[in-house]
This record gives sequence, structure tokens and C-alpha cells, in this order.
Amino acid sequence: MSRFRDIAWWVCFIIAAVVLQAAVPGLDVLTVGLIILLQERDYKNMLWLLPLFILLQEGMGTRPFGAVIVWYAAVMALFKMGRWLFEVENFIFVFLLSACLGAAYYGVAWLMAPLQNLPFDVQGTMDTSLIQAIFVPFAWRLLVATRHWNTDDLEK
Amino acid sequence: MFRIGFQELSLVTLRRLLLIAGVLLILFLGMYSWNQRTHVLDDLGARLGLEITGAVLSPVRSVQDAAENMWSRYFDLVGVREENERLRQKVDELEARLLANGEDLAELKRLRALVQLPVDQSWRPLGARVLAGRMGPNAVLDSITISRGYSTGGRPGTPLVTHLGLVGRVLKASAHSSIVLLLTDPSSRIAVFSQQSRAPGILAGMGTGQRLEVNFVQRDADVKPGEILITSGLDGKYPKGIPVARVLHVAPSDYTQFLAIKAEPLVDLHHLEEVLLLEPTGAPQPLDPTEAPKEFVGPPLPGPKTATP
Repeated sequence: MSRFRDIAWWVCFIIAAVVLQAAVPGLDVLTVGLIILLQERDYKNMLWLLPLFILLQEGMGTRPFGAVIVWYAAVMALFKMGRWLFEVENFIFVFLLSACLGAAYYGVAWLMAPLQNLPFDVQGTMDTSLIQAIFVPFAWRLLVATRHWNTDDLEK
Repeated sequence: MFRIGFQELSLVTLRRLLLIAGVLLILFLGMYSWNQRTHVLDDLGARLGLEITGAVLSPVRSVQDAAENMWSRYFDLVGVREENERLRQKVDELEARLLANGEDLAELKRLRALVQLPVDQSWRPLGARVLAGRMGPNAVLDSITISRGYSTGGRPGTPLVTHLGLVGRVLKASAHSSIVLLLTDPSSRIAVFSQQSRAPGILAGMGTGQRLEVNFVQRDADVKPGEILITSGLDGKYPKGIPVARVLHVAPSDYTQFLAIKAEPLVDLHHLEEVLLLEPTGAPQPLDPTEAPKEFVGPPLPGPKTATP
């Protein structure tokens, strides 16, 4: 994918992610972008995209700064661990990673609530974790397909 | 042989991983405590992240509005003639009612002057559009995002209302967008009193979809279900007299010496589209120069001592 098309793809992704996050409270769409960056080992783009993702999530959130860093660190750690055991394209990997991400989402919220002196809504967090776990594999597949389609189109 | 080698490799890897994790944890905690003291990263997130979010959402909302308007206009055209006739009838009716109410209005003005209700010039209303509700994994508080920031009248602490009543106050702001803490959030506390019985209390949010609680209302207070709670202004955060909630249930508390009062917000916080920000103008409340100083009510003045047997 050419540099320009790549950046255009990421800008479109960020706009769509912000709009989708406005529609579904608590959902993190940018996580899928981070997973794609890890999957493609695209560390050059990660250098500017990861700080941007963190700033966006911290900016639109209401918690003190820090929780998103823990959450994205958990996403990266889980992805690395998963890739160590499975192939990235494997269905079990996608399924397990999504389930672990759902659990990590709940875990981070539970961990940060007393640290930041905020009330912890068990039911609400559970619901959002579940939505997050279900959302990730579908969005991941869809976005990977658009990236492949983009590349194929360019090669033709 | 291979097994031992694998184990050795695993131990080395594990030790290295633990070391990296430890260093990262220390770095994170250092950054976290530094930010708690200085709020530099909080400000950076609000100024940059929230600003980009607002910049993305504002045109999206404009396009959505335009599409909705076109759609509704098309359907409106179908019944526009009937509606026009109905509205004309209503205008006639309202004009007649306005004439009849002229006397009531004059009476209200007189009564206001009589009870000296403050004509508050210290707050200036500013319209704002609701861009979104809670957004992202970091939005744990009950909040909304609006289209005004600190450079356009939405500074942190600014109260928000609709024509029905109080919505909340600005929690954090970027230049052109801000996040508003709704009155239903568990961390929201508002000084109120009941409109009829004038019993003071503190209105506390209990979370989305939950009823509000009014704390610290004396047991002998004559608060009734259906009564409206208005801001008392005693907390210094909200102007006095804004309707906030309606009392649903009143009973003596089982655990405290106060009343246990449940209430519901007057504003439908799930379907907000436009809101009004009450920006403090800094102008002092006007005082009537002809007003005589109020009589001081306190302990009795010391009189001549009487001899005791």
C-alpha cells in the first residue's frame, strides 16, 4: 500500500472510529486499529498512531490520564502472547484474543476505579466488556479485508 | 537435553520479561503520580484529544441534521396545509389568552418586586449542541459532549440547562468542545431546596437510569411527592432557582435522622439535542439603593442586670 493511501486509510479509520464510539457508549474501536498495527508489524505508523489513539481516548474520556495506557498495554501483551502460541489468521486466536480483551477491559476498569477514586459500575462494565469482546473479531476481519482489498487494487 | 535447554531459555525469557514489566510499571506509576500533581497530561488530552473529537463530530452532526431536515421537510409538506390552519387557530387562541393573562403578568411582576426575587444578570445563556453521549473506554462518568469549549463559553464548572431544568455542569473542556457531567452521575452533588416547603437538601446522582436521592433534609420538613426541587445556589456552582428534579417518594430514613427522598430529573437526559450554558458574566447581582438595611436577627442585646436573691 502506498504511503499516501496508507495514511488516508488510517485517517478514514480514525474518523469512523470516533463516530462509532459516539454511537456506542464505552466501545473502543481504536483497539482494532492497534491490533492491525501489531499484526502488520507496522511500527513506523505505530509511532504516531499509538500516541494519537491514547490522546483521543483520554481526551474524550472522563477518567484521569493513565487508564488507556494500561488498557493498550494489556492489548499489546495479550496479542504478543497469543501470536507466540497461534497463527494470527487462526480462528481460535481471534476468538481467544477477543475473549481475553473483554476480560482485560473489565479488569482495567476494576483496577483503575479505586486508584482514581471513582465508583465502579459492575453491571455496566460487564455489558461493555461483552460488547467489546463481540465487536473486536468482526471489526478486525472487516478492516483487514478492506486493507487487503486496497493492496490488491493497487497491485492490479 | 532439549527439555533442560528449553527450560533454561524459558527462565531467561521470563526473567527478562518480568524485568521489562517491572520497569514499565515503575515508569507508568511515576508518570501517573506526576500527572496527578500537575495535570499536564490531563490538559493535553483534553486540549488535543477532545478538540479532534469535536472537530470530527461537528461536521458529522451537521450532515446528519441536514439529512434529517430534508427527510422531515418532505413529510411535512404532505400535511402542511392542515397544520397551517390548525396553527392559525392556535395563534388566535393564544392571542386571546395572552390578553387575558396580561393582568396576571402585571401581578407576577408586582409579586416579584414584593418578594425581591433577584433578576439575575450575573449569568449569560449560550446555546450549545450535544455532539455525543459517553465516548470510549475511558468515559466512565455519566456525561455528554457539547459543541462549546473554553474559548466559546464552556469553561469547566459552567452550569448547563434546558427550558425544562438543570442538566449538569462542564467537567473538562478543549477550545471548542467540552464534556458535561450530568446530574445523574454518582459523583454529582447539587444544593437544592423544595419549591413549596423551602426545605434545603443535597441532591445526589445514583447513576444512569437510577432515581436521584435528596440527602440531609430534616425529618420535620413538609416535602410532598410531586414537589419540584430547585437549586438553592448555596454551593456557589449553580444559579439560584433553576428547577432540577421532581420528588417521587418521601419517607423517614431507616438509618439516618433525615428524610429518605427519591426524585427524578425534570430533563430527559437521554434525548438531549440542544442545551444552554449559563456563563458567569462577573456582574454583581443588582441591589436596590432605596432598600432599607435588613433588620439583624440575633441574640438579645444585654440589658440591665437584675439582682438575684
